Amino acid sequence: MAVTAAALRFAGVSFAYGATPALAGVSFALAPGERAALLGRNGAGKSTLVKLVTGLLRPREGSVWVGDWDTRDRAPEELARRVGSVFQHADQQLFARTVAEDVAFGPRALGAAPADVERRVARALDALALGAYAASHPYDLSPALRKIAALAGALALEPAVLVLDEPTAGLDRSWRARVTRALAERAAEGAAVLAVTHDLEFAAETCDRGLVLDRGRLACDEPLAGLLADAPRLEPLGLVPPPLAALSAALELPGRPVRARDVAHALRFARGGAPR
Amino acid sequence: MRRRHPFTLLALAGALPALAWILPAPAGGMATAAAALGLALLPAAGGGATVARAAVLTAAPFWAFLLLLHDAATALAIGLRLTTMVASVVWVVAALPPARLVEALVARGWSARAAYVFAATLAAVPVLRARARRIVEAQRCRGLSPRGGLVRRLRALRALALPLVLSALHEVDERALALETRGLASGARRTALAPPADPPAERALRWGLAALCAAALVWRLA
Amino acid sequence: MSGLTLDGVTFRYPATERPALREVSLEVAAGEVVALVGAAGAGASTLLLVAADLAPRVVGGTLTGRVQRPGRAGLVLPTPWTQVSGMAFTVWDEVAFGPANLGWPREEIVRHVEPALAQLGIAHLAPRDPATLSGGELQRVVIAGIVAMDPTLLLLDEPAAELDPEGARLVWRLVRALAARGKAVVVATSDLDAVPDVADRVVWLAEGRVAAAGPPAVLAEEATCAAGLGTAVAGVWRAAGLPPPYPLTVADAVRAWR
Repeated sequence: MAVTAAALRFAGVSFAYGATPALAGVSFALAPGERAALLGRNGAGKSTLVKLVTGLLRPREGSVWVGDWDTRDRAPEELARRVGSVFQHADQQLFARTVAEDVAFGPRALGAAPADVERRVARALDALALGAYAASHPYDLSPALRKIAALAGALALEPAVLVLDEPTAGLDRSWRARVTRALAERAAEGAAVLAVTHDLEFAAETCDRGLVLDRGRLACDEPLAGLLADAPRLEPLGLVPPPLAALSAALELPGRPVRARDVAHALRFARGGAPR
Repeated sequence: MRRRHPFTLLALAGALPALAWILPAPAGGMATAAAALGLALLPAAGGGATVARAAVLTAAPFWAFLLLLHDAATALAIGLRLTTMVASVVWVVAALPPARLVEALVARGWSARAAYVFAATLAAVPVLRARARRIVEAQRCRGLSPRGGLVRRLRALRALALPLVLSALHEVDERALALETRGLASGARRTALAPPADPPAERALRWGLAALCAAALVWRLA
Repeated sequence: MSGLTLDGVTFRYPATERPALREVSLEVAAGEVVALVGAAGAGASTLLLVAADLAPRVVGGTLTGRVQRPGRAGLVLPTPWTQVSGMAFTVWDEVAFGPANLGWPREEIVRHVEPALAQLGIAHLAPRDPATLSGGELQRVVIAGIVAMDPTLLLLDEPAAELDPEGARLVWRLVRALAARGKAVVVATSDLDAVPDVADRVVWLAEGRVAAAGPPAVLAEEATCAAGLGTAVAGVWRAAGLPPPYPLTVADAVRAWR
């Protein structure tokens, strides 16, 4: 993959908060359309990495590239043209009278034409099935749903890179599935997705690639499916295989699928049922 | 200064503005304003560059209005008194950890709830400041530019102030619940975990400050 | 001995017509762990508030039915930063906040705080300022603070929401350990796959009503799986068209496969 074609690239990035090191020598690249899960213990450096992508922090060493933009040369509000982000406390950032208006905030701030703003908002709300809440006041929603509204706001920016910090915290299965679908749609259109998450089941359903941070270093960078089934490798990193990956390994299903649909298919097939 | 008893810090923060208003302007005001700003500036007193800057920035708008409304002499007199008040408050908020204030109040027999309410106003500042910073970051990542013309800035202010207020208000309910569940309403007398030391010298200092204010008042009225 | 009894409880928040809880009856014995599951907004959090004597006393609203709670209840909410007292210098003081408010003598406070810190694996954080901790670490501090108050009934609303997998495992182990010590525990959680190892009983709440209740195997029943509330293994078994009974955990599935 040519260097300039990467949607997001970290080249030897190190960062420290004062004297406390947070990231050391992190290098990886995401191509457009790739979906990667950023995993690791609390304190491993995940949130720091997210802030480096958005330009809120600048690397001490190395460089962060969003497309052909070096984040050291751009302010966060400029990078917002290419990076859509949702932080951990996103439920606190909403302020407009209605959810729809709040989702429109980003595109308007970027100077999109009113008709374009409307289109983007409608698409984003639709992707997350938030249409029913479009006219509600954000604080009439639960914190988890407010976070989904913040995600809609990031989608409405139609960015090249989506970086999300714990997008499914507090969500039940059906909402998690909606988020997975929305991210898959955007990735299919060429957006690169980086999702920080503790929810390995969600990671398995949504992402193809796994990046694991351990004490500030990138311990793993590989296809997620193989990684999730490998309990001995996950344990020292503070992770445990999610149930379906564990099931897949325990029953020795061919191909070791980790996604619900693929596991169901493999089970059905292994039992002699007609493949769907 | 942080190790001094909380009541001493409060006494100082109260005495300086009192003296500023009692003593004749502009000399009295100048002396007390200088003392208050000095406290705000000196790290040894619990202050520092940020504290002093906050004090100056908070007092500045008052000066602007005063100069518009009054002649120079009146503006100076009132302005110095207001500056003393503002600087004293900003200083005490920075120098007095709420936890110590609660401990001191509880050691004196206040109920935990009353002590908490008193201290919570001080504690709210750093929490809100941290949250405000997070909100600014989030809105910047949505394309909000802190630069631009007046209209732009006003619009930006709305995107920053509203979420802060809304989320803080919203949180008050949840905080109240959480505190209830931590026994704040138990009615029992709270055990002081680490009551601040109150050496006789400091007590004497506090009485001394009160006496000084009383004497100044008497002298002024006589 | 019962830690909590709810008998036909119906609760409405102030100025709302639709009840948040409808005719809910539940009994939790000392030493038992009950998991509340359900879609968002189904009433789990409200039930915990009622059990903690915060609804309607502090929250307002109207309650009919009977609530019995023989001992002290401790409630842990999902967002750690709203539960921190904001007045403690150190984690130690933060955990001691509750016991101090109860007026316990200092020796007794120490006797409760030290084990609580150890149980939550945060003894090394004791001298730190709570404001410098991450969300996960803070949640553990909050739980320690509630545990240190030695409640007979422990109510946890999504206690592992902010925690990484290791932290979550620690909390679930702690829940079992507290039950083993005789506490009654009620946990609202959306982590259905953790439930079989943690809970003795599961209560499924839908729109304020108890839709189903029973041992964790409830999460492998047809109705719960159809509602999206089964464990991942049960769900995938069903999706594969394999016949019931659906296995609850990976271990069950391996047995059923052979």
